Amino acid sequence: MTVDLDKYAKPGKDHYIALGLEGSANKLGVGVIRHNLGQLSSNNRAQVLSNVRDTYITPPGEGFLPRDTARHHRNWVVRIIKRALIDAKIKGTDIDCICFTQGPGMGAPLQSVVIAARTLAQLWGDIPLVGVNHCIGHIEMGREITGADNPVVLYVSGGNTQVIAYSKQRYRIFGETLDIAIGNCLDRFARTLKIPNEPAPGYNIEQMAKKGKHLINLPYTVKGMDLSMSGILGYIDQLAKEMFGKQAKKVVDETTGEPITAEDLCFSLQEILFSMLVEITERALAHVNSNQVLIVGGVGSNERLQEMMKLMIQDRKNGQIYATDERFCIDNGIMIAHAGLLSYRTGQTNDIKDTVCTQRFRTDEVFIKWRDD
Amino acid sequence: MSSSTLIPTAEYSAPDLKETHKFDVGNGDHSTDGQTTQISDIVINAGGEDRDKPSEAKDTPLGHLRAKLTTLQDQVNVFLTERMKQDKSKNAQKEEEDIERRILDDGVDEDDSD
Repeated sequence: MTVDLDKYAKPGKDHYIALGLEGSANKLGVGVIRHNLGQLSSNNRAQVLSNVRDTYITPPGEGFLPRDTARHHRNWVVRIIKRALIDAKIKGTDIDCICFTQGPGMGAPLQSVVIAARTLAQLWGDIPLVGVNHCIGHIEMGREITGADNPVVLYVSGGNTQVIAYSKQRYRIFGETLDIAIGNCLDRFARTLKIPNEPAPGYNIEQMAKKGKHLINLPYTVKGMDLSMSGILGYIDQLAKEMFGKQAKKVVDETTGEPITAEDLCFSLQEILFSMLVEITERALAHVNSNQVLIVGGVGSNERLQEMMKLMIQDRKNGQIYATDERFCIDNGIMIAHAGLLSYRTGQTNDIKDTVCTQRFRTDEVFIKWRDD
Repeated sequence: MSSSTLIPTAEYSAPDLKETHKFDVGNGDHSTDGQTTQISDIVINAGGEDRDKPSEAKDTPLGHLRAKLTTLQDQVNVFLTERMKQDKSKNAQKEEEDIERRILDDGVDEDDSD
């Protein structure tokens, strides 16, 4: 049996249109999606009508502060929404529902964007609002784009690191970070090395890592199904400070005697962190007897991570890996529109008084009404 | 009220205030570039530039409302920041009095006596 997704369709309309607003971290994203009536399938895919993003960039060595990030979102949100509507060739009144990220994320940026959502909903004549869990947005968009029907999901980004599998109308967390997220670990190391934040610190680390060839010893900290990364960061940060600070400590590779470079540090950090992710993902696959992996989240656009995951999955029978490119991997508005529209199609909307955002909002708190497999 | 004169207002009341504080945007020049909503010094000092300035207000009723709202926001921010400062200094004063009381009345901190 499948869930009826058209119980709430407007009479006489053969499709739905949703606007999605995302701003839980330093990206402000606005997307417009269209679903035709009927089940989503390989013959009836969601259509991306527009997907616009603007990223708040800080100087090298600096992270993004909530206050300035919120200011960026506030000052750009109207312009970005206008652009998204023009790209999609629609008017505000064509929209069935306005979807916004309700959490998890940074408080101030979330608050700025939800105000835009509430205002538009009222301005355009009582359009229903749908609060979306950011992680669910990533998962549902990843499934829709790749066609992976029931994968184990590795969700890796600046604020989240989780291994997730679906069971009985919940996306359940099998393993996760015990302290900082993987993207946070990479970004903070980028700050230590004063690598530019444009286009993204993680991207720049990835490029440097390609030039690294010596693997240095780093702690490997998988704890059951979970992992810990703050210790690794502390260790490599210290080493980098000794090497590139006043001390100018010389470190050499144990086997070749060649000097260790910043590129080698980036390479080693990636290799160790990604190995840990591959290990817990493989174990989750065995647990749920699956052979599909879907990688979502900003760090998911890292090609080395995709490559390492592929090596693991190829050893499994009919193993398949699914990943998306930066348009859908990195935070965006379209995934919020898509997941929100699924919610809307099963009758789940938020009254204005229930649109308060929350910094903590776990993936498994969401009831996945649109699936019942 | 006609739509050409949209005027935002705000009121603030608290148990320790005798009267409700009313904010009035006045007739001055209004702009969307607020005094209290500038980029952090931290970003500028680190060599960053401000690429996120708000767009200028249009010469329309809603545009004027935006500019006035920015003035109102500035007033509210200044007012609340001042109140927070007062709170802080009150607390600091209280703490000082406390130390004095402990030294003069008790001679020793009670916590240290056992």
